[in-house]
Amino acid sequence: MKKLSILILALVVVLAACGPKPTPTATPAAATEAPANTMDALIQAARQEGMLTTIALPHDWCNYGEAIETFKAKYGIQVNELNPDAGSADEIEAIKANKDNKGPQAPDVIDVGFGYGPQIVEEKLVMPYKVSTWDTIPNEVKHPDGYWYGDYYGVLAFEVNKAIVQNVLQDWNDLLKPEYKGMVALAGDPRASAQAQMSIMAAALARSGSVDDIMAGLQFFKELNDAGNFVPVIAKQATLAKGETPIVIRWDYLALADKDALAGNPEVEVVVPKSGVVAGVYIQAISAYAPHPNAAKLWMEFLYSDEGQLIWLKGGCHPIRYNDLAARGVIPAEIAAKLPPAEAYARAVFPSIDQINKAKQIISEKWMEIVGAEVK
Amino acid sequence: MKRNLRLGLLWSWFWMILGWLYFLLPLLATFLFSLRAKKDTLSFLAYERVFKDPNFWKTFAFSLEIGLITILAGLVLIVPTAYWIRLRLPRLRMVTEFVSMLPFVVPAIVLVFGLIRVFSGAPFYLTNTYLGTNALLVAAYIVLALPYLYRAIDTGLAAIDVRALTEAAQSLGAGWPVILLRIILPNLRVAMISAAFLTLATVMGEFTIASFLVGIKAFGPYMSLVGQNKTYESSSLAIISFALTWAFMGFIQLFSRGRAEAAPPGAH
Amino acid sequence: MRRLNNLFPFTKQGAHSARPVSSIPWRDALWVLPFFLFIFLFVFLPSASLLSGSFQDKWGNFTLQNYLDLFKPSILSAYWISIRISLASALGGGLLGFMMAYGITVGGLPRRLRTALLTFSGVASNFAGVPLAFAFMATLGRTGLITVLIQTLFGINLYERGFSIYSFWGLTFTYIYFQFPLMILIITPALDGLRREWREAAQILGASSWEYWRRVALPVLTPSILGAMILLFGNAFGAYATALSLTGGFINLITILIGSQIKGDVLQNLGLSYALAMGMVVVMAIMISIYYLLRRYSERWLKI
Repeated sequence: MKKLSILILALVVVLAACGPKPTPTATPAAATEAPANTMDALIQAARQEGMLTTIALPHDWCNYGEAIETFKAKYGIQVNELNPDAGSADEIEAIKANKDNKGPQAPDVIDVGFGYGPQIVEEKLVMPYKVSTWDTIPNEVKHPDGYWYGDYYGVLAFEVNKAIVQNVLQDWNDLLKPEYKGMVALAGDPRASAQAQMSIMAAALARSGSVDDIMAGLQFFKELNDAGNFVPVIAKQATLAKGETPIVIRWDYLALADKDALAGNPEVEVVVPKSGVVAGVYIQAISAYAPHPNAAKLWMEFLYSDEGQLIWLKGGCHPIRYNDLAARGVIPAEIAAKLPPAEAYARAVFPSIDQINKAKQIISEKWMEIVGAEVK
Repeated sequence: MKRNLRLGLLWSWFWMILGWLYFLLPLLATFLFSLRAKKDTLSFLAYERVFKDPNFWKTFAFSLEIGLITILAGLVLIVPTAYWIRLRLPRLRMVTEFVSMLPFVVPAIVLVFGLIRVFSGAPFYLTNTYLGTNALLVAAYIVLALPYLYRAIDTGLAAIDVRALTEAAQSLGAGWPVILLRIILPNLRVAMISAAFLTLATVMGEFTIASFLVGIKAFGPYMSLVGQNKTYESSSLAIISFALTWAFMGFIQLFSRGRAEAAPPGAH
Repeated sequence: MRRLNNLFPFTKQGAHSARPVSSIPWRDALWVLPFFLFIFLFVFLPSASLLSGSFQDKWGNFTLQNYLDLFKPSILSAYWISIRISLASALGGGLLGFMMAYGITVGGLPRRLRTALLTFSGVASNFAGVPLAFAFMATLGRTGLITVLIQTLFGINLYERGFSIYSFWGLTFTYIYFQFPLMILIITPALDGLRREWREAAQILGASSWEYWRRVALPVLTPSILGAMILLFGNAFGAYATALSLTGGFINLITILIGSQIKGDVLQNLGLSYALAMGMVVVMAIMISIYYLLRRYSERWLKI
């Protein structure tokens, strides 16, 4: 007992003495101050702050891993990554909880679902900032005053484990075929995940020609479940590779990232369905209570520069300035080749915020009742 | 008599084997999957990748340190309290038991955001320094481990006659510190070790609170990060963390054997 | 010191106490202040938002609607499923854990096994969430180790016969994985406390093994067993990550409901989730009261 206590005491002393000290942050600029005008002044100010706190950025989601490393190396700013698994609601809650906190738990920047735009402005959680490439961001996906702005988009696709599924499917109706018994899964809980909800919207689109007829989408999943093809589990890369969920309905960029990560072990094919192609946009914003507002602004400048946008493209995401980049011919051929063919995107439907929120409402109320994919 | 003994042993072995099968089969399945990192062959590639990752060692060490401090602080808080309530304050038992169960019903995410709200601003300002943040983390983990800590210690106390021991020691002239440290604690050795194990395991695997307080510096968030896009590594990581934590607990067990280690009191 | 203990077997608290039992001695209560202060600072204060938030609607106005919503059939059924799975895994885990703990204490299995089991239980008791769910999927899923084994050895396809790991019982069996090591760790000290002399005395008086257990050992152990069971119940009741990973959000557990309200990408009703959590507090309070009554009854003739 005594020996144990001494050992533990020693560890405590060591921990207290050797913990790295935080870089002292300068007094954070208030949200109402004028932003640094030139890039150099911004870089200076950001360097002085010394740290950027991000949240909910998995390293293989749109190649954020490379974005973070490049940013760190380029500007010499430390990046503090909070919860990479957080959902949009977590990010917003994190801003609210850290209002009085200038420490490293307060997120500087957030990346949330499209539907959250109105809420974060209404609740005054974000500060406006227009990046230098502002004009090349399409109007439908940015707030006119610069409170939030779309960052990337992708379409819902089928991620298929070819080692298990010999006959790769091409469209929504194929999912109902008996040969795919016990194989199809969503990548989230429809009551909580934007990805799953938009999957249902896509099914609705395929069935009824419109994303407004959500009941058609729910009906589709009911049939899927009744046929025994639906697996009631949240699919991940691991469940796909293991063979528990060989067909997953996912964002195409996530499916492409899985394909790269698995590197043929097993073979993965990413199929954009022939009908019912729904595109989803995510948006970026700077927290109104950010402890490091200049670092945050610099991060945004970086992400929306050609360099940053191409990093996202490498991750399989379509950066929001894609059309501008393509028009100017700055997209390297190898990267363009990895993406699904452009025709698939030509038929993509981009639901509006209202359509998304309406769908959420209906799905969260009716999912259990109609689909009954309930584990009893 | 002998027949009884043999039947008894058979019974014990039956359950022991059943239990170990239950333990090991899922681990075996995970292990076999983790060996498939290289296409079409079995290899330890996933394990190599994990061991070569400096973040693995850093985050494991960090969470281990936090875990040890949590054990120490938790025991210091709980043991005297549980003892005193048993001895002198039986009326408070129900309240204490209820309170010790509360961490089960407070969702971790509510707890972490609540802690940040309360302690990041005035008058505590805990989150502005690494020491403060780590202290907050330890406090949060004591809360999470509280049900297990309390139950383990309380069960240990139930198994010894607290009142008699105390009265005997008092009649021999011992003061309270001596009674606690030299009479009660040694009798609680097994219970405290159980409590230590439970706490350490809780801390090593914990994700939500660590992810919002310290981000990917802690082991739980690191495991989640790996698990998101590296399938085989996440399986090998699960096995490795299991094995390492087990080894460390064995180490604690060995280390705390200390002096007189006869069979535990009354064991058959 | 242990010898001394043997001189005072079944002392009754009342007989030796000169203290009036009808009030809380406040000077003594002072010594447990640090504990309660800790609880206040680190449990109550952070969760205060739970209580206040449960009375608020989406726009921050006072409302009782959240509590009224708790009585919707879908939510009541969610509480019921959560309680059922907690009871099932507590009983299953409690039984298995007790038997294994018995083996390494009274049952006379080798000493090395005891160390191995206790340390392993330490780790296994917290092996939960994503890795555990995946481990069970890898064992009993459609392509799982055991499933495939049974298929190859006996030609029986479990899934065609209606079995699925993605079910209530699948989740229960997964929960049991971390329940029974918890039981082992908690109950072992209690089993250690069974005095050898009692068994010998019982044998001298002609009791069979079964009678010894029924009339001496189990009654002595019952309070501790009850205590362990309520812990197991709470452990399962509050579990979230494992259920989320194994059955997705497709099972109606209270923790999943709360999680989907708080965490998801959906703009939901935070007030309702807080009310759900308060409902959990009520359920735990009821279970603890039942436990407490049972325990007092079982302790009535024992020293405390």
